[in-house]
Amino acid sequence: MIRYTVRVGETPPLKDPIPPSFPPLRFRLFVWSACNFLMSDIQTNPIIKAVGLHKDYGEFHAVKGIDFEVMPGEIFGMLGPNGAGKTTTMRMLSSVSPITAGQIFIDGLNVAEEPRKVRDRIGVVAQHDGLDPDLNVHQNLVTYARYFSITGKAAEDRAREMLEFFGMDQRADSGIHTLSGGMKRRLTLARAFMTRPKVLILDEPSTGLDPQARNRVWEQLFRIREAGATILMSTHYMEEAAQLCDRLVIMDYGKILSRGTPDDLVMEHAGSLTAVIRPTNGSGPAVRSKLESMGKDVRERGAALVVHGPEELRKELGQIDNAAVRFRVSTLEDVFLNLTGRELRDE
Amino acid sequence: MATLAMRTGLDFRPANVYGVWLRHWLAFKGGWLVDSTAIVIEPLFVLLAVGFGIGKFVEDIQGNLSYQEFVAPGIIAANAMWPALFNCSWGAYQRMENHKIFETMISAPVNLSELAAGEIVWGATRAAMTTAAVLLVATLLGLINSSLAILILPLGFLVGLVFGGMGLVYASIAPTQHSMMLIFTLIGTPIFFFSGAFFPIASLHTGLQPIAWAMPLTGAVHVARGLSTGDLGMSHLYGLLYMIGLASVFYPLSFMLLRRKLII
Ligand SMILES: Nc1ncnc2c1ncn2[C@@H]1O[C@H](COP(=O)(O)OP(=O)(O)OP(=O)(O)O)[C@@H](O)[C@H]1O
Ligand SMILES: [Mg+2]
Repeated sequence: MIRYTVRVGETPPLKDPIPPSFPPLRFRLFVWSACNFLMSDIQTNPIIKAVGLHKDYGEFHAVKGIDFEVMPGEIFGMLGPNGAGKTTTMRMLSSVSPITAGQIFIDGLNVAEEPRKVRDRIGVVAQHDGLDPDLNVHQNLVTYARYFSITGKAAEDRAREMLEFFGMDQRADSGIHTLSGGMKRRLTLARAFMTRPKVLILDEPSTGLDPQARNRVWEQLFRIREAGATILMSTHYMEEAAQLCDRLVIMDYGKILSRGTPDDLVMEHAGSLTAVIRPTNGSGPAVRSKLESMGKDVRERGAALVVHGPEELRKELGQIDNAAVRFRVSTLEDVFLNLTGRELRDE
Repeated sequence: MATLAMRTGLDFRPANVYGVWLRHWLAFKGGWLVDSTAIVIEPLFVLLAVGFGIGKFVEDIQGNLSYQEFVAPGIIAANAMWPALFNCSWGAYQRMENHKIFETMISAPVNLSELAAGEIVWGATRAAMTTAAVLLVATLLGLINSSLAILILPLGFLVGLVFGGMGLVYASIAPTQHSMMLIFTLIGTPIFFFSGAFFPIASLHTGLQPIAWAMPLTGAVHVARGLSTGDLGMSHLYGLLYMIGLASVFYPLSFMLLRRKLII
């Protein structure tokens, strides 16, 4: 006869609620936390880190205290109107311009203290091409690679590979002055990729390229990133930033105005939907005050007015007197213009 | 600290000097015919016009030396100046300001001390090329009396180092492209004519003689003449040391000024 002794406060043994599995749960938990631990090292160590960065040119403050971190393998964008301080920031990152205040770390190295080691590891595309007009296409590549101690066959092979990659293998012997603007830009990128850098700093890499060449460059940037590189780039093409960048910052007057993933930025600053309202002749002020009386935040955009909001906007603004209304998905361009305003820079 | 090493030039990669030099060699190979025509033909014209044209009307100088024999080593040494000065002033200015090549180099792991060395050594290489060509012709014309004259070749290289450094110093302080021409008219030309290449410095007004002796080319002309005639003394050693001294002042000055101009 079996006797059960049940003590007060003790529940009888229950069946394991989770069905037995292989590998056992405890083992899976162990693996999971071990992975987390290993990943956490990568996740918490940015490959580029700027802290309280300032840059003065004499009396002029070009960069006024910016902070950002770029994680390994990210494509990180910098947007901003002319004169925002993008090039200035990137030149400090690539250690060609002294830092007025603040600190930059790239791959764990303090840029101010070990500039040369930093330059050993990075590839740079400057806003100007900086190609050598006295050398041909091929010579431009191998001459540059030599400064990174890549010489001989290694340099030749890599140059051939890069020229193919950028569809310029037919032009290896061409003089620089015979290249189109877009080809020069591609050659500049090819030159930066010559050394397989860990970190790429690209200042408007696709400016002046036609849509074909730009798509080519995007494809290449993705491939470079897949190979493990981290990319920090500036651009004036919102479409490009939205497509390419994992995260980005929007700068103006030397400060960061906003940051995040392209989608988050759009949701935060331009909602999901944009109504473009074109008032008929002369009815602009009336339409505007009508919209404002509805509690809408109205912005001027060219000859039209825009209102951002959620999907419900379609119903609310479906009929506006004396105006043609069109709806479209909000974009990064909306975010950019909302944050940086309508004034032209560099005046 | 690494920046200190950089500032003092302790962090120096000789391979980069060679890299910069090689860049110039590649560019030179691309258009060597045009370039060498300019730097070789011109001194030959001077040699022929001055030596055999004007020389006919000039009496022997310093005892038994014909004017041709007197002027030939001077012309060789003086003409070493131009290619170096041109490459490192006008040429360097173009590369730096118009083509932004210096910026490309320093955003690669090249330091300005290496860049400047590459520029100056290339200038000196061009100077040595000119020297070799004119020396050969002068020898064939029978104007060289000593086998020591082969040493004029390294002397031409030294002249190149001095004027390469001087040119680069000027390129890094010249405010505009237009002002680059001044180094040729205001500095190059007087040095060319008053360094004792064409007439003995002793024939100048006594007040002007120290100025002439202080000119950066005078030592080289003096040494070249000694090597050509085989008649050497202590004064030639002083001339040589003066040239070496100038080269070793211009070089660090050039990369410090370049740093001031480019690292902003
Ligand atoms: N060397 C310099 N000396 C003085 N001011 C400068 C210098 N370089 C840049 N600036 C100024 O610093 C500000 C930022 O310039 P920067 O080139 O970084 O802008 P940017 O964001 O790259 O603009 P763009 O989109 O036009 O390239 C501008 O007002 C510019 O005039
Ligand atoms: Mg810029």
